[in-house]
Amino acid sequence: MIAPVGYIQPLTTLRRKRTMPVEGVVLVNLGDTVHSGDAVARANLEAKHFILDAGRALGLPPERAKRLILRSVGEQVEDGAIIAGRRGVGARLLRAPAGGTIAAISEGQVLLQVSDDSSLLPARVPGVVIDIEPNRGVTIECVCALAQGVWGNGRLADGFLHAVGTECDQMLTADQIDMSLRGVILFVGGCEQRQALELAAQVPIRGLIVGSLATRLLPIAKTMPYPVVVIEGFGSTPMNSDAFKLFADHNGEQATLNAQPIDPGTWGRPEVIIPIKYEGRPPQPVPMQNFRIGQTVRVLNGPDKARVGELTALLPSSTLYSSGLRAASAEVALENGNITNYPLANLQLLG
Amino acid sequence: MNKPPERQGLSLVSLDVGSVNTRAQFFDTVEGRYRFLAAGEAPSTAGAPAFDVTVGALEALDQLQSFLGRTLISAQGFRISPENESGVRTNAVTTTFSGGPALKVIVVGLLGEVSLASVNKLVNSSYSRVVESFSLNDRRKPEIIIDAICRTLPDLIVLAGGTNRGASRSVVRLANYLALALKLIPEQERPQVLFVGNEKLQDEIDNLLGSLTTLHRAPNVRPGLDLEYLGRAKQKLAEVYFNIQSAKLGGLKELRELAEGNFSSSAAAFGRVVRFLGTVIDPPKGVLGIDLGASNTSVASAFAGELQLRVYTELGMGSSLGGMTAETHLSQLMRWIPYDLKEDTVLNYLHNKPLIPQTLPTTPEELAIEQAAARQVMRLAIGKSLALFPPSAIYPLPGTVPWFDRILVSGSAVARAPRQEQSLLMILDAIQPVGIATIILDQNNLVGAVGASAEIDPLLAVQVLESNAFMNLGTVISPVGRARGGMLLRIQMVRDGQKEAVLDIKAGGIQVIPLAMGKVADLYVQPMPNVNIGLGPGRGGWVRRVVGGAFGLIIDGRGRPIQVPAGFHQRQEILQTWQNALGGS
Repeated sequence: MIAPVGYIQPLTTLRRKRTMPVEGVVLVNLGDTVHSGDAVARANLEAKHFILDAGRALGLPPERAKRLILRSVGEQVEDGAIIAGRRGVGARLLRAPAGGTIAAISEGQVLLQVSDDSSLLPARVPGVVIDIEPNRGVTIECVCALAQGVWGNGRLADGFLHAVGTECDQMLTADQIDMSLRGVILFVGGCEQRQALELAAQVPIRGLIVGSLATRLLPIAKTMPYPVVVIEGFGSTPMNSDAFKLFADHNGEQATLNAQPIDPGTWGRPEVIIPIKYEGRPPQPVPMQNFRIGQTVRVLNGPDKARVGELTALLPSSTLYSSGLRAASAEVALENGNITNYPLANLQLLG
Repeated sequence: MNKPPERQGLSLVSLDVGSVNTRAQFFDTVEGRYRFLAAGEAPSTAGAPAFDVTVGALEALDQLQSFLGRTLISAQGFRISPENESGVRTNAVTTTFSGGPALKVIVVGLLGEVSLASVNKLVNSSYSRVVESFSLNDRRKPEIIIDAICRTLPDLIVLAGGTNRGASRSVVRLANYLALALKLIPEQERPQVLFVGNEKLQDEIDNLLGSLTTLHRAPNVRPGLDLEYLGRAKQKLAEVYFNIQSAKLGGLKELRELAEGNFSSSAAAFGRVVRFLGTVIDPPKGVLGIDLGASNTSVASAFAGELQLRVYTELGMGSSLGGMTAETHLSQLMRWIPYDLKEDTVLNYLHNKPLIPQTLPTTPEELAIEQAAARQVMRLAIGKSLALFPPSAIYPLPGTVPWFDRILVSGSAVARAPRQEQSLLMILDAIQPVGIATIILDQNNLVGAVGASAEIDPLLAVQVLESNAFMNLGTVISPVGRARGGMLLRIQMVRDGQKEAVLDIKAGGIQVIPLAMGKVADLYVQPMPNVNIGLGPGRGGWVRRVVGGAFGLIIDGRGRPIQVPAGFHQRQEILQTWQNALGGS
C-alpha cells in the first residue's frame, strides 16, 4: 500500500517553486542567494479598475467610439487626462476619473487600473535561485534539515530555535515566557493557554513550533503576529520524538518558519527549514514509497497519536479494532517498547 | 429442468477515483445475470507525493487481481485488455472521478432570479465552488467582476443571460467585461469560459472571447423566461470539468483512455442511478439519494424521472468536514454521542480529521464522533436541499423532507459502520424520513460504477441494483403528528395470505416487525386521528407488497424533528434504547 509521507529529515536538498498567480516581475537572478523574507517577484494582485465606456461617454456606437480612443494599453494617464474623444471646443470627451494605467481595451471600453500597490512574493525558503520562470517566479534550492507540519497561520519568519523544556510532551505556559525569548523561535510539545500565545506576541518571539494546539486557541493563533506551525494536530498531543529531536539537535541555530497553510491545489505544507552548511547535495526527500518492514512510521490518530515506531510486520489479514471496524493493518514496535497493531490508514511514513 | 442459456454480457472493470480512496470493482455475468464479484481499494494519489491518479488506480487494480486470482492489467502497461495473456475477458471499463479540489467558478448572468439562478443550479450539480456571482441587477459596479476575476483567478467563468429571443446588448456588455478581465491575466492562467446564454449571440461571444481563452458553448439554460433547460449544459460542464482537472492532475487522461471515454464524475453517475430508481416509483412520491464523500456530499432526488442533483463541496467527512463544523453548534453533534466525552475532545477530533481524512476510528468513542458527524453532514446537506424538492410532492409535515419511496445512501462513513443498525440509525437520524420508505445502503460503494455502466449496458445497472450487492435495510414507516394518548397507529401484517395480530404502535420509539429479507407482505395501517403516514391525517389503508430488508419493517415513532435529551444520562439511555430496538447492544 502506498504510504502517506510526512517529512522529518535531518539532512536533505529541498527545492521549492515560488511563482506569482499573475504575470509580474522577477526580482532576482539565477544563482542569487536569498533569505526567506526576500522578495523574489512582484506583481499587482489587488488592482482596482474603472471601466470607461467610450461609446456611452461620446454618444456613439462602440464601432465608432473605439476609433476615437486616444490611449493604448500600458499607457500611464493622469487624473482628468483625455481617454477618448475629438479635440475641439464643445466636443464630448472621456476623461480619466483618476490617475492610473490603461490595462485593457475592448469594444470601445477602456479598463483603467488605478492602484499600483504591488504585492511582493517572498522566497519563504532560504537558499539559491536555481531556475527562473520569466515574469512568474523562481525555484529555490536549500540544503537543510526539514520538518513538515499540518497547520500554519500563514506567517513567515527567521529566528534562532529555542527549546521550551526537554521533553516532547511539555506544554507551553505563560510563566515560561519572558523577555529573554525575544527574537527566538520556540519549540515545545504543545500549547493550551491563550495567555501564553498572547504573551509571546508581546515579547515578541519570532515564531512558535508546537506538537499540538488546543482547538479553541485556533482563532487566536491565526491572529498572532508571529508564525505558528503545528506539527501533529489539534488537542494535547505531544510532538513526535523524531521532530522534537531534530529541533533539539539544532537548538540555538537559525531556522526559517514557513507557516503557510496546506494548499489543496499545490499540496504545499507548513515547514520548518534549518539551513545546513554542507559540501555537496544530499538526496532530496523520497517522493513515494509503499509500506515496508523496517520503516519508521508515525501514528496519526487514536490514543497513540504522534508516537513513532518501526513497522515490524504487514499483517496478512485485516485486524478488528475496539470500534468494531476491520482494517488492513501493520504491527509497529513503538519507541516505548510496546508492540501494537494499527490500521495502515492511520500510519504515516516518516520520510 | 433445463438450465437457461448463459447470457454473454459484459465483463466490466470499474474504477472510482475519490479524494481519499480509489476503488477497482469487477462485474461479470453469473448464471445469466450480472453480478458484482470483487473489489480492490487503494489510497488515492491525486495529491502529494504521487501527483498521479494512475498510481492509486494501478494499486487498486492490482489488489482486485489478487482477489480474483486472475490477471486484468495488460503486461504492455496501463491497459486492461479484452484478450490479455491469461485469457480473462474484460470488455468494458468505466471510470468515475471525484478526487481533486473543487473547481473555482465565477457565475455571471443578466438577472439574479432568472439566468443567474439557472446557472447556479447548473454549477452546483458539479464539483465546483462558486467564488463570486454577478448579474446586471447587482447593485455593485461592474468593475467588481473584473476585480473578482483577477483576485480569485477562477478555473471557469460561466456566462448566461438572455432568452433566445431576448436580450442581446446586455449580454454582450457582460461578455465585454469578461474580455477586459481576461486580458489582464497571463494566457496560461486564464479561466475557461462556458457560455450558456442567448444562442443567437454565440458568434458574437466567440468573437469577443474565443481568441482570449478556451470558450465552450452549450444551449441556453433559459431559452424562455419560464423555461429552464440544463441537460446539455450539464454534459458540457462535465467535459469542461474533465478538461480543467486533467490539466492539473496527472493520469486523468490516461484513465479516460483506459475507459475508452466511459468517464464521468461520480456525482453524475450517482444521479443517474437515482434517476433510474425514480422511474419505477409512482409520483408524487420520489427517490432520494445521498452520497456522503470525504470532500463533498451529493444529494440527488428524482420525482417522475426528473432528477435534481446538488453537490455540496463544503460538506464532507474528510477534508470538507470543516464546512460542517463551521455551520454546526457543538450541541447538535454531541446529542448523537452516547459517551460522556468532553466538548474539547470532540472539537479536537473534528479539527484533526480534515488534516488526516484517510484515517479510521479505532476506538468506540472515535467511531461515535464520526457517526455523529456523518449524521450532521447529511442533515445539513438535506436541509440545504429542501428547496430543490418539488412543492407538488407529498409533505406529511411542513418543514420536513417530502415522502420518498426509496432512499439510497452511499459513502464509507455510513456503509462501513461495523454494525448495520448503526448505518440505519445514522440514515434515519439524519434524513428523518416521512411516509413509507425503503432504505437501501450502498454497502460496497458501487453506486458510481453502476451509474457509469448504465451508459454501456443498462441491464448491468438494473441487475446489480436488484442483487444483494446493495443492502435493503428495511422499509420504514414514519408517522408524524400529535399522537393522542401516546398511540400512533395500528398495524396488521398479512403474510402468505395469513392475517397476523394487530399491533399498537406508540409514540417515542422505534419498533421492528420481523419480515425476512426479500419476503413480501401486505400491511393494513390505521393511524390515529392527527397522525399522518403520508396518506393524510388519520387516513390509513393497505400498503401492498412491502419487501422485507435486513431489519424487516421498521416503525419510526420518534416524531419529527427527532428530539434527543440534552442531559448526558438521559441521552445515553434513549440512544441506547433506539439502538436496542434495532437489535444492537
